[in-house]
Amino acid sequence: MGLLYDLSKKYKTLSIVGMSKNAGKTTALNFLLEEAMDEGIRLGVTSTGRDGETQDLVTGTEKPRVYLDVDTLVAVPAFLYDLSDAGLEVVMRTNYSTAIGTLLICRVKEAGYVQVAGPVINAEQKKLCQDMLNIGCDLVMIDGAIDRKTIASPDTSDAIILATGAVISRKMDKMVEETAHVVRLYSTDELEDGLYRTAIEENNFDDKIMLINEKGEVTKLDLVTGLGAARHIDEAIKEDTRIVYIPGAFTNSVIVDIGTKKLRQVKFVLKDPTKIFINPMDWGKLRKRGFRLSVLKKIKIALITVNPWSPSGYVFDNRLLLEEMQKAIPDIPVIDVRM
Amino acid sequence: MAENKTAVTTADLTKVKPYGDTLNDGKVEMAFTLPVPYGEEAEECAKQYVKKLGFNEPSVTYYHELAPGYTFFVVYGAAQQTIDYTAIHVPKVEGNVLDRVECGEWIGENIGRDIVVVGASIESDAHTVGIDAIIQMKGFHGHFGLERFKNVVPYNMGSQVPCEKLIAKAKEVNADAILVSQTVTQKDIHIMNLTKMVELVEAEGLRDKVILTCGGPRISHELAQELGYDAGFGPGRYAEHVMSYVMQEVQKRGWEKKANIEDR
Repeated sequence: MGLLYDLSKKYKTLSIVGMSKNAGKTTALNFLLEEAMDEGIRLGVTSTGRDGETQDLVTGTEKPRVYLDVDTLVAVPAFLYDLSDAGLEVVMRTNYSTAIGTLLICRVKEAGYVQVAGPVINAEQKKLCQDMLNIGCDLVMIDGAIDRKTIASPDTSDAIILATGAVISRKMDKMVEETAHVVRLYSTDELEDGLYRTAIEENNFDDKIMLINEKGEVTKLDLVTGLGAARHIDEAIKEDTRIVYIPGAFTNSVIVDIGTKKLRQVKFVLKDPTKIFINPMDWGKLRKRGFRLSVLKKIKIALITVNPWSPSGYVFDNRLLLEEMQKAIPDIPVIDVRM
Repeated sequence: MAENKTAVTTADLTKVKPYGDTLNDGKVEMAFTLPVPYGEEAEECAKQYVKKLGFNEPSVTYYHELAPGYTFFVVYGAAQQTIDYTAIHVPKVEGNVLDRVECGEWIGENIGRDIVVVGASIESDAHTVGIDAIIQMKGFHGHFGLERFKNVVPYNMGSQVPCEKLIAKAKEVNADAILVSQTVTQKDIHIMNLTKMVELVEAEGLRDKVILTCGGPRISHELAQELGYDAGFGPGRYAEHVMSYVMQEVQKRGWEKKANIEDR
């Protein structure tokens, strides 16, 4: 069976996440929509920003519109309802907040082009997806705005489609490296069940940094955030500390002042990989110092799409690019949405 | 030159074009630099270039040498394109705008506690002009900053503040709103910085517990929304616009009794 059929068997909601703006997200979405039409899968489509407008607000480049087939569910802002080419039937009026007023869930009655929009806040996005699944569709696709990777957070969707492209860098190997870095971060190991995981799950209600010793005893640090708190964390790590749980964002400022000996002795645990904000270079350095990391929930990447075109005007050899990508990321399917 | 230049007295809003001496003459003044040596060829080059841009009757009114090999021009031309003004839709920050004194009183009456905001010009941007215009006491253009507002506690962290520091501060002082300023926009650096900020805020689990706004000369409310901010403030927006939005949003979200971030 087709690509999308396989995906819809495994997942209920998929977010399309761009490595950066113009990585070809909307192109990827359109490619997948076409697939869905061919395979007869009923889709729900929403976005984390307004998408499908003909002109890109940031770069001013032409943006592909979203063509939807009959029976697709779609989130549309009330004032754009009149502007869409497609025949739409309003199924539900929501009160989620968007850039541009009230959001409607519509069913496409007559195929055509639509401007898709969605809630600004992640928690509301999740509710909207559930609404769509309740109304009736096989798979919900969330189109991300710019490179807001946090939307990839497993709280929102079951798996992601990572859209990458030439826009990341003028050098192909840099682009492949950056993408592979993100994939590597997203597939960070989950913390195995046992003493430590139970300790974290039982005590993780107030989003505090927690240190756990060999016996599974939890010490909470009285800090409002881990950001810039490396020295305090360093002080708090004792001889028998084994786990450091960071509830929020994980940047260099969380870890930079921790001594190498202490760094080797503990394992850092994060909620999920979207909390990591460390570039490939610093990541490599940390690894060398013996840094170890686990997450409570990792992100499943269902598919990677590449776009060999950059809006600044250069193009990569698409066959070579696909080859390099598959070499760097062997276990996830990679497709070129322009082929 | 023999076009019909009959003067019209009313503008047709469905076909708007620039106004110079008479309605619809389309006159536009342009200033730009070309990497060509100063001279009459340069003048002709500028003329042809403007013609190619779609302007009729290009005329170079001024040009001089910037540096060897570079010439600066001021050129006039008549634009041909028109815009349908009636079909324009611009998303705006909703709510009433009150002045400084009214804001203070409104907060006292409706919120019943101080509103705390933290602002900074983030990451590589060294320009304090934007954040100072909004927060600093002397304000900008006769509009006093948030430091002069009653019932508002602003923190101005200055420029080149890493996102981490700004977020840590917001958490420390239980900010109701974060104001992010971006002045430099070359190579879309402001997009990168603003995106980094919103992602960190989201990763810190703070996104729905704080009002996240940004501002700067190249920022619009629409762009801010697309980047995942609650509101954006562009040119011509002052402290009272920001505070009017923030305080009404605090009321809308029911944070009157929730001064602490944890309770929201």
